Amino acid sequence: MEKNDLTPAEPQGSVMVVGGGVAGMQSALDIANSGFYVYLVEKSPAIGGKMAQLDKTFPTNDCAM
Amino acid sequence: MDDEYNEELGKRKAIYVPYSQAVPLKYAIDPDNCLYLTKGRCGTCETVCPSHAINYLDQEKEITLNVGSVVLSTGFKSFDPSKLDYLSFGKHPDIVTAMGFERVLSATGPQGGHLVLPSDKKHKKEPKKIAWLQCVGSRDENRCNNGYCSSVCCMYAVKQSVMAKDHSKVPLDCAVFYMDMRTQGKDFDRYLENAKENGVRFVRSRVHSVYPDRDKGDLVVGYVDELGVMVTEHFDMVVLSTGLEISADSFELATTMGIELDRSNFIKTDSFNPVSTSMPGVYACGVFTGPKDIPQSVMEASAAASAATENLALARHSKTQAITIPKQRDVAGESPRIGVFVCNCGTNIGGIVDVPAVAEYARHLSGVVYVEENLFTCSQDTQDKMVEVIREKKLNRIVIAACTPKTHEDLFRETLIDAGLNKYLVEMANIRNQDSWVHSNAPERATAKAKDLVRMAIAKALHLAPLFESQLPVSPAALVVGGGITGMTAALALSRQGYPVTLVEQNQTLGGNGRLLHKTAKNEAVAVFVRKIISEVEADERVHVLLGSTVQGVEGFVGNFKTTVATGDDTRIVDHGVALLATGAKESRPEAYCYGEHDAVMTLLDLDARFAENAAVVDRAENVVFIQCVGSRNPAHPYCSKVCCTHAIRSAITLKRKNPETGVYVLYRDIRTYGQREFLYREARELGILFFQYDVDNTPVVTPGEDHVTVTFTDHVLGRPLAVDADILCLAARIDAWDNTRLGQAFKVTSDNDGWFLEAHQKLRPVDFATDGVFLCGMAHYPKPVDESISQARAAAARALTVLSRDSINVGGIVAEINRERCGGCGGCVAVCSYNAITIDPEKHVAVVNDALCKGCGACAATCPSEAPSLMGFNNEQLYAQIKSAMTV
Amino acid sequence: MKEEVFEPKIVAFMCNWCTYGAADLAGVSRMQYPSNTRIIRVMCSASVSPHHILRAFQSKADGVLVGG
Repeated sequence: MEKNDLTPAEPQGSVMVVGGGVAGMQSALDIANSGFYVYLVEKSPAIGGKMAQLDKTFPTNDCAM
Repeated sequence: MDDEYNEELGKRKAIYVPYSQAVPLKYAIDPDNCLYLTKGRCGTCETVCPSHAINYLDQEKEITLNVGSVVLSTGFKSFDPSKLDYLSFGKHPDIVTAMGFERVLSATGPQGGHLVLPSDKKHKKEPKKIAWLQCVGSRDENRCNNGYCSSVCCMYAVKQSVMAKDHSKVPLDCAVFYMDMRTQGKDFDRYLENAKENGVRFVRSRVHSVYPDRDKGDLVVGYVDELGVMVTEHFDMVVLSTGLEISADSFELATTMGIELDRSNFIKTDSFNPVSTSMPGVYACGVFTGPKDIPQSVMEASAAASAATENLALARHSKTQAITIPKQRDVAGESPRIGVFVCNCGTNIGGIVDVPAVAEYARHLSGVVYVEENLFTCSQDTQDKMVEVIREKKLNRIVIAACTPKTHEDLFRETLIDAGLNKYLVEMANIRNQDSWVHSNAPERATAKAKDLVRMAIAKALHLAPLFESQLPVSPAALVVGGGITGMTAALALSRQGYPVTLVEQNQTLGGNGRLLHKTAKNEAVAVFVRKIISEVEADERVHVLLGSTVQGVEGFVGNFKTTVATGDDTRIVDHGVALLATGAKESRPEAYCYGEHDAVMTLLDLDARFAENAAVVDRAENVVFIQCVGSRNPAHPYCSKVCCTHAIRSAITLKRKNPETGVYVLYRDIRTYGQREFLYREARELGILFFQYDVDNTPVVTPGEDHVTVTFTDHVLGRPLAVDADILCLAARIDAWDNTRLGQAFKVTSDNDGWFLEAHQKLRPVDFATDGVFLCGMAHYPKPVDESISQARAAAARALTVLSRDSINVGGIVAEINRERCGGCGGCVAVCSYNAITIDPEKHVAVVNDALCKGCGACAATCPSEAPSLMGFNNEQLYAQIKSAMTV
Repeated sequence: MKEEVFEPKIVAFMCNWCTYGAADLAGVSRMQYPSNTRIIRVMCSASVSPHHILRAFQSKADGVLVGG
């Protein structure tokens, strides 16, 4: 693999994800499940973000939880 | 305190869990409102906490982390409508925000899911008329500074109106006041049409005021209708469809980091790198890069995962640790020791079913040695406790009476693994979805049914046996079908993570629709990008391009596919662990408006070709007319092609900028320039491009002339027909799916009624197929602009990487097993197996199951006259026990 | 004399991938229906054999529903 300026000699095998809503959680899961350590940083006491406030979601009317 | 989770419609304490299913389910102290922290008084929590978990002296700590990259996904805050006087928000409790209305409808909300007026403290009075006001805090640069469209509000308003009608015990009148209905997503227009059929009223209008009627106590909505008439109407409740915006915290985070934002404070991205920020190594997804819905946010999240790890591929697995799985206890010789956990699910179950009675009943059933009631059996602390209890009480079968195994079985199986039990030794009794929720008006019957369901689950649990899985290695290579922008993006994303890719394209060139497009919404030249990405693909040693090639057949399963690819007369077999289908879509050939009969009539892509070749007609046209929704949004093709409004307006602007004298007319049904594309719409109007709305039952009429066509349409405001002699008539033709039947059959994936590939879950798994190891992206999923195709391509790559980066995959578990002594080798099971998972051993003349192919349907078990096959986990012994128990009281 | 109301007992075999999920969704949507059925989850309606149905009737079920 060619190394450019952006690729440090020894890249870190970890990623920080800021925000634990549905996007942050999905990103964190995909990163972790492809072999990297993830720090998921969330400001509030619980993950879930705005989606956790929704009642049901289109089109299946599944419970958003 | 006002409860922010319930949008201030309910109350919470200063020490609280944000909501009942919160992860982690732990209490937190709100330092702004805690009496001890603010005034030094109280301190009750510390005294009463049995685990001494309260530490008032805890301080903020700074932690430094070394990471390879960062993903920003801080989301949005809802627009605060109290800034807008004309809406009277805060002056009457029955004016709520859309988020507030979600809480009103929610079973965990302040009203327990009963649709009653928030002003009625007795929670009894039901609304009979509800209005939704669209574009509150969106598409509005006069009253607030949010010029963009928030993209999601039209759809959530339609959903809420349908849900409200559903919830209401009285006939409910729902009216949505809107400018354009922007339901451009997959299946959204169908949902909108259904809502109309269900009686939801959609009123194209501008609302100028909302105020309480002091005499009647209800609310008045004042608006101007599409003919310019001032109207007022009374409603019991008004929902403000508030837009999405970037919070001050997110703004500060981005600006402190030095990340470039756009004029609306969303992170600036370009169409070809939709998840990259201006700072190398920092990526972004979700609403932080622009307003978008859940599936698009989830796609971008996966896309950001792919982008953020691309430069870190060499360090894969360097920071992670293998999970140490406790040794599995052998329960073979043990007699059943069943532990039963009965969940209250907050009040979802406990509010209806007499949970203590169910628990007490279970205690006396055969095999049961332990029973426990939980507020939430699924919460993390209950899981931890369950592990302890299983060990301590030497439980060897677990019954969970709670919600549905479809969503929670996997969670409890994990808990069993942690406790050293085989994960198949758990059985669930569905006393929520199939009991308390559907018999909430008959609590006694619900309790009786819960006892029956628990008894049946215990009867089956007595016959549960450990099941075993075996490991198969993963073939670390990918197959990408389709060599357009999407397919090439996906191929490069996988190759840069170190995996070889075979890219199959049926044409003799790469590029697909990308070769036909002129500019993106952000005015970037598509041709330049396509040339660049083609050369990157061609230069990439790990990407093997097969042009003029098609997929003939697929064998195998996730991790181990063998695909036959034909190139001309040659065929070859490709071994791969994952497949990405990126076969794209095509612009249809219109059958109306003189298309194909007159040279002045063309599609958007035809016009793009004229732009590319600098055709003379583009410069000298006196009048240009665009007709939108040609062949779209009609009964035969009910979907919206999503890209055409933006594409047409982009082209209209290009024409107008080339020659400001050109008269440019856009005839539309709803302008759907969602997100930041709204600024293009605004720019077009400022440039003097004229927009006329037409109805589906009053379409424009085109008559051919010598060197032009005459387009006749109705001006709503003037109420009379207008005729324009157009040198160019540009039709926004519907985008059609390719016929993917054969490819779909080969990979065992399905398409929807409109021909688009069907994802596993429309919200949460937008790039996965239901078939493991096969992923979809780009326009084969649904029409979408270049930036969304690229996001989805990267997302599919990220999802594929979660398979490719594994050493092996597990197969087995709930699969069929053949009892060889009973098998006569008749082949009946082979005939009924839809998955070709059973073969007959030619020497021993008995059926053999391939665990990796078996989907665990059990059709073989039902067919065999000698009951030789049985479905593990659902065998006859277990089912008979359940049947018998169902009828024993 | 007190009138006896006939309360049938129904065994329902439901496919995990469709009707069982639909029964879950009925709950999510808070639909109300009589509480006479006892659902048995199967992985496919094709796995329900005549034996299962007969066994239900032998166990004195008044009706059997196979959903798939």
